[in-house]
Amino acid sequence: MGVVDEQENLTNGSVPPLRQIQVEGRTAPISVAERVEVPEFVDQQAEYEEFDDTQPEWFEQIMRTESLSISFAGKKAVKEVSLPVNAGEVLALIGPSGCGKTTLLRSLNKLVDLTPTASREGRILLDGTDTDLYDDTYLRRRVGMLFQQPNPFPMSIFDNIAYGLRERGSKKPRKKELEPVVVESLKRAGLWDEVKDNLNHPALSLSGGQQQRLCIARSLAVAPEVLLLDEPCSALDPISTTIIEETIVELKEDIAIVIVTHNLQQAERVADRVAFMYLGDLVEYGTAEQVFKAPKAERTKDYVRGDFG
Amino acid sequence: MEAASLGTKAVSKEEDPTNRRVELMLGVLASSILLFIAGMVIFTFFKGLPSFAANGLSWFGAGGNVDEQLGAIFNSPAAPADYVYEFHAWPLIWSTVVISGLSVTIATFLSVFSAIFIVEFAPVSLEKLLDPVIKFLAAVPSVVYGLLGILVVIPFINDNLINEEMRSSVAYVIQLDGSSVLAGVLILTFMILPIMVALIVDSLRAVPRVWKEGALALGANRWRALVTVSLRAVRPAIVAAAVLATARALGEAIMLAMVTGSIGFAPNPLDGLLFFLEPSRTLSATILDGEEGLSVEPFGQTMYAIGFLLILSCALLSFAGWAVRNRLSRYGIGAK
Repeated sequence: MGVVDEQENLTNGSVPPLRQIQVEGRTAPISVAERVEVPEFVDQQAEYEEFDDTQPEWFEQIMRTESLSISFAGKKAVKEVSLPVNAGEVLALIGPSGCGKTTLLRSLNKLVDLTPTASREGRILLDGTDTDLYDDTYLRRRVGMLFQQPNPFPMSIFDNIAYGLRERGSKKPRKKELEPVVVESLKRAGLWDEVKDNLNHPALSLSGGQQQRLCIARSLAVAPEVLLLDEPCSALDPISTTIIEETIVELKEDIAIVIVTHNLQQAERVADRVAFMYLGDLVEYGTAEQVFKAPKAERTKDYVRGDFG
Repeated sequence: MEAASLGTKAVSKEEDPTNRRVELMLGVLASSILLFIAGMVIFTFFKGLPSFAANGLSWFGAGGNVDEQLGAIFNSPAAPADYVYEFHAWPLIWSTVVISGLSVTIATFLSVFSAIFIVEFAPVSLEKLLDPVIKFLAAVPSVVYGLLGILVVIPFINDNLINEEMRSSVAYVIQLDGSSVLAGVLILTFMILPIMVALIVDSLRAVPRVWKEGALALGANRWRALVTVSLRAVRPAIVAAAVLATARALGEAIMLAMVTGSIGFAPNPLDGLLFFLEPSRTLSATILDGEEGLSVEPFGQTMYAIGFLLILSCALLSFAGWAVRNRLSRYGIGAK
């Protein structure tokens, strides 16, 4: 969806009015789902094909950090990182444990702000707008997140998917209105065939891999433009991992994806771009091919070769 | 685990005589506890049976002055054939229902909000302080609460909440002196609150952090995440705490006998606010008060009947709590 709006941005050469409304009236944001129904949607995908998508400049930055530093009780976990997140791509954050990649990821939807000792310097931009101008709840609907441990709520499968939609407004949508979105989300997450007859079953009765796909579907239901994945497969078996990775690759068409992973093969398989972090610094950023095949920094070279970490 | 600790020998459970002995011993112990409880219930029932049999269903109903009936039973003629059994327990049942019900209802709300505050909002230092204090409060003997009730709460109610007009309006039925439903409910609420808070705090702490974060990551605000995920998840624990508190409230005798006036009177809801200022006596307090008359056979049997009603209520309560918890946790961890 981010792609779509950016496209609009490019063709019009100006900021679309919707964005301005959001910035000014942040207490009453326009939901993403409503914006998707802009009629131009159909044409834009076709127009998009005309671009040479091997040229990085054609990729719009949906999100960007500018000299972002995160400290916990004065100790810097992320040091002055400036990193773009491109629409239509998967960005993998790699690096040894404790390098700040998860902190960086959690700062993108301001989940890191929940830690009382955390403080932030620098800016995080979403679509060119400082995210500080947004309500946290609004930001988190546009920037979804998937956790390391599958975390379905103790509710039915249906209620899990509908959760974000129900929390979106003060008026509770009826089950009938929610159903198409729930079905669509489950289909996109590749879980529909397995659960279509059991929507009222407890989500926690699903297997680990299914639970994680349920969580993907739950995030998709609120139509995010960016999806943050925090080692989403580390608790899963290889088959579930493969399914999730396939889903990620399918989803990136519509949603920019940032994935933190310890698994370099996984990063190679799914990522278009890779950022290598070490001790809070962003050491190297480039296309996946470049970072893995021809890393510039010595540290990156050692890490991707498996010499440390 | 066992096989691992035994290393390569890997003796299975069935083959190991020690395991079997332990199993047998624990089994005997557990079943003897069950037998003991069953025996107690049956014994109490048969002891109280004459009282139930003489009154039929009207045992549970209203009619006459329950204190006068108890007096008549106590003064029964010596010949078993002439024993007096007439007894209508409604005022006592009503008092028990009102006092326990109000206390548990108020305590449930208070404990949920206190627990939320302690777990989610209180600064760590306060949280660390509150934890042992609450557990200590749960252990204060009820007779101390009764003492405070008599010396502090009752005079306060008598001096500040009851005026002469109220007193004279019901003077022909009952005397208002501060010993009241209100005093009972206030102190009982305070007595059952700590254990409820402790239980709910523990279960709120056990809610996985990833659930809360998951809710926040979907755009719920902090309060909504708390209500829709954390509180939802601890509903079974809230029910369990309420059941435990009700059981304690039903069984509380000493404090209530001290502060509710100990008069077999059914406060009338039609009296408006006076309802709370009228005295009454619960079933448990009645047994406590009747302690001196237990040697009189029909009186003892009447007390057994009351005791059986209390046991039965607690059993039904536990069962209802179990059923509700089952229903509430059908989506919880380990759901099938």
